[in-house]
Amino acid sequence: MAGVGNRVLAGTDRALDLLRELPRLSLSNIRSNPKAFKRNKRGRGQHGGKKHGAGNKGSGQRQNFMRLGYETGNNPFYLRVPKEPYYKGHHIRREYPPISLMQLQTLIDTGRLDTSKPIDLTALCNTKLFQLSPFENQYGFQLTDEGLDNFKGRINIEVQYAPEQVIAAIEKNGGVITTAFYDAPSLIAMRDPMKFFASGTPIPKRQMPPENAVEYYTDPKNRGYLADPDLVALERFKLAQKYGYELPDLKKDPELLPMMLERKDPRQIFFGLNPGWLVNLKDKKIFEPEDEQLLEYYRS
Amino acid sequence: MAVSFSNFCCIRRLLISSTSCSRAYLSGFKSNLSLDKLYPTSRLDITTIPKAPESKDGKFSGYIPMDKIQVNYVRSGGPGGQNVNCVSTKTEVRFHLASADWIPEPIRVKLAERVKNQISKEGYFIVKSERTRSQQLNLADTLDKLRNLIHSVAQSLVVPEVSEETLERQRRLRERAARERLKEKRAHSMTKQGRQSPTLDS
Repeated sequence: MAGVGNRVLAGTDRALDLLRELPRLSLSNIRSNPKAFKRNKRGRGQHGGKKHGAGNKGSGQRQNFMRLGYETGNNPFYLRVPKEPYYKGHHIRREYPPISLMQLQTLIDTGRLDTSKPIDLTALCNTKLFQLSPFENQYGFQLTDEGLDNFKGRINIEVQYAPEQVIAAIEKNGGVITTAFYDAPSLIAMRDPMKFFASGTPIPKRQMPPENAVEYYTDPKNRGYLADPDLVALERFKLAQKYGYELPDLKKDPELLPMMLERKDPRQIFFGLNPGWLVNLKDKKIFEPEDEQLLEYYRS
Repeated sequence: MAVSFSNFCCIRRLLISSTSCSRAYLSGFKSNLSLDKLYPTSRLDITTIPKAPESKDGKFSGYIPMDKIQVNYVRSGGPGGQNVNCVSTKTEVRFHLASADWIPEPIRVKLAERVKNQISKEGYFIVKSERTRSQQLNLADTLDKLRNLIHSVAQSLVVPEVSEETLERQRRLRERAARERLKEKRAHSMTKQGRQSPTLDS
């Protein structure tokens, strides 16, 4: 008869007593009914065991399969289209959407471009007639020679590429042309300055041109922004001789001279605004950094 | 720290008007890569017009004074529809050759001799070009032609200084060539004589 000590317990009392005495139920003291599940006897290799990822029968299991891409004899997909050297590096090549001299003259004649101020990429984008997409490898505008013979505008223009005859046409009319490089973040700021200012980021400093462009932008023949201005003066004279015109003396017009000679620093993006400045359009304020380290960074 | 918008514009204009002439673009922001740091010895002036190189000592400098020549634009020939019919793209450059003092005298004389078929009755030398579709490019081509012509004439006038050894060597080679030629001639003569029938005298 079950019982603790001298007491004799009835049915429910015995059950309750058991509950009191036995340990707490846990995974370590319960067990399934026999034959509730089957134990896997072979396989090994833990969870990579049994078929070892090779499937059932066939070449897969028998390690007799063909190489990746093979199409059982017919010309495989990866060999169908031949490699063409002409497109090598096409995704890296810089693009410069064209603007013809004829278009430029039309803009000047219709008053869409102000010739009393220097014309740069921002001025051209502000006409809303030209789109620039830095995300599609476009790095600025190039001037083409369509309308070369009839170009008569006197301008100070800054583009990213201009051929020799276009440079001659602009300088013949007493203008000044410079070729300058802008990196993608600078371009995004330049093409829509209002949107950039509204974003609340300080003006970045313009990066130097990549290695394969340095030669172009330091050459006075291309009127590069990094070229020596004295050598540029010499090239202006030489080009005047080549294309058969008398080189106009820029100093003859003292009122226009400062505008004609106005150029940006190689690290500058906007005329009159320094890198590092934060423009607040709403309150009409400009904030500039005072910290020496920041100033040093933006100046370097 | 905050600089008001309107104040700032005034400062910039002040900066630009205060500096003189050609160095105006150096006012404003200057980084460590500004032009005066890249080229410390340069005058940084794109407005200077260098003096035209003179054609002296009988040598042509290559400079063509544009005020001493006349440029004419006329319509080109050939096919081309409306463009060739309406646009004057053919370029003519003419000048009075005898009175062109920008070409040194000896070169002028030799040039007149060489191009005598292209000089008009009044003595004007005419160079033309209708190579491209653009007036300006054709003008450049015309001037290029003219310059090359004058240079080639100048080159032909230059007598190269030959050293004594070269002259001596040339003389020796000429004499040797003459000797060889006579030797071959004699040998050929003997061959021909040998084909004659013999006579009592020989």
